[in-house]
Amino acid sequence: MKTRYHIRPRHNIRPQSCIYALLASISVAVFSLPNAAHAAGTLAGTDIQNVASATFDTAAGPVTIQSNTVTIKVDELLDVTVSSTDPGDVITSPGQTSNVQRFRVSNTGNGDEAFALTATVANGGDDFDPSLQQIVIDANGNGVFDAGVDVVYTAGVNEPVIAPDQNITVFVITSTPAGVVDTNRANVSIVAAAVTGTGAPGTSFANAGQGGGNAVVGPTGAQSSASGFLAVQATSVTLNKTATILDPFGGNRPVPGAIVTYSLVATVAGTGLLNNLVITDPIPVGSQYQPASLTLEATALTDAADADAGNFNGTRISVAAGNVPAGQTRTVTFKVLIP
Amino acid sequence: MKLIIRIMMAFATLTGASLAVAATPLQLSSDVFVERTIEGVDGTKTVVLEKPKMVTPGDSLVFVVKYKNVSATTATNFVVTNPLPPAVAFNGTSDGQEIVSIDGGKNWGFLGDLRVAKEDGATRAAQRSDVTHIKWNLNQPLTAGAEGKLIFRGVVK
Repeated sequence: MKTRYHIRPRHNIRPQSCIYALLASISVAVFSLPNAAHAAGTLAGTDIQNVASATFDTAAGPVTIQSNTVTIKVDELLDVTVSSTDPGDVITSPGQTSNVQRFRVSNTGNGDEAFALTATVANGGDDFDPSLQQIVIDANGNGVFDAGVDVVYTAGVNEPVIAPDQNITVFVITSTPAGVVDTNRANVSIVAAAVTGTGAPGTSFANAGQGGGNAVVGPTGAQSSASGFLAVQATSVTLNKTATILDPFGGNRPVPGAIVTYSLVATVAGTGLLNNLVITDPIPVGSQYQPASLTLEATALTDAADADAGNFNGTRISVAAGNVPAGQTRTVTFKVLIP
Repeated sequence: MKLIIRIMMAFATLTGASLAVAATPLQLSSDVFVERTIEGVDGTKTVVLEKPKMVTPGDSLVFVVKYKNVSATTATNFVVTNPLPPAVAFNGTSDGQEIVSIDGGKNWGFLGDLRVAKEDGATRAAQRSDVTHIKWNLNQPLTAGAEGKLIFRGVVK
């Protein structure tokens, strides 16, 4: 019995240069692994080569022949997706600068591609328009905005190049106008567009693809956008003052000898935390402050300017109530004598 | 390292092929087309084969291997083997008479008879995506002047 089958493995991807030799070897390794999905597909510039061989027997014995090699080059597919990676609204406050919003730009094509970035702060359907400060590329890839470390993006100068199936994080830095109020929201959007070109799916750019082939616009149109939102958290405080009179006769007339208890109730509204609330009140002319009568939330405070939150300086009381969450109140009381 | 070895082997086989062409009693040619679906204005879809000017992942390819006995004598035991390009996933042949290999050409069989070992030791039925080589074993002698073609389809990974 003669050997009928003569099988030789042969390579089918021919490196075009040293650079693509590396790429080719990577793709060979990937495809040889079972279940190693490569979502972006075969790398742009890869040559698909096909050769058939035949064996047969003649009177002279077994013969093996090869066909010609047919080669086609895989073109570059231009595809990109952009998404917001903030877990929810990014909190801001009136007049705040350096709001940081995060977006992910993913190259879903099959070639190394540069992407132009455009941020839009004036979108309809929201409550205010922040000012764009910068677009910043997460140069160290840690997903966190590091001022002075990450690279400020300048259109036409440093469009980020993203490898197929890879993504980068981009930060959009904005400032919030002073006039906004609690619960106002702003839509901030960013567009990433393939530098090679964009257009309807199927649009092609001759010889513009990585590896010397063409570039073809994929299903995404080679550009993508995503929105993220800023949400204003602001607090407001109202102060309500009431007086209770106790006269020397057990009544409530403002006669000489009567003690007036003033109650100051500060109510914090809105969202978030009101920082460093200080309540001050001048002693009414013609009345006399009653020593050691100052309280905060029913707790007595000394009159001296010391470790506790309150003091009386001879003309007014002052109480530092600290940081107060929205929805809470702080009550200060003091007493004066009508002489 | 593996790649370098493959390149060297390819070089050797290509050299051998060029020498063999002059003396061979058979001609073997390989060609490839891209299958495109064109949708007409009335919504009808037409599938056309075109020369591959532009190919991207996901495209369907049609490979055509033609053979012809150009000698005056009959060739027997005619076997055509086509290793699948690594960037192409097998998508069937036109005649269904092929046997395939899923292990780089070591073992052969009808696709439905082959099984792939899984990591847990069990096996599963082989899929078209597992195919690495295709082979046609033409059981009839190829007489002088006889010719034919073998067609298989693939999808660019």
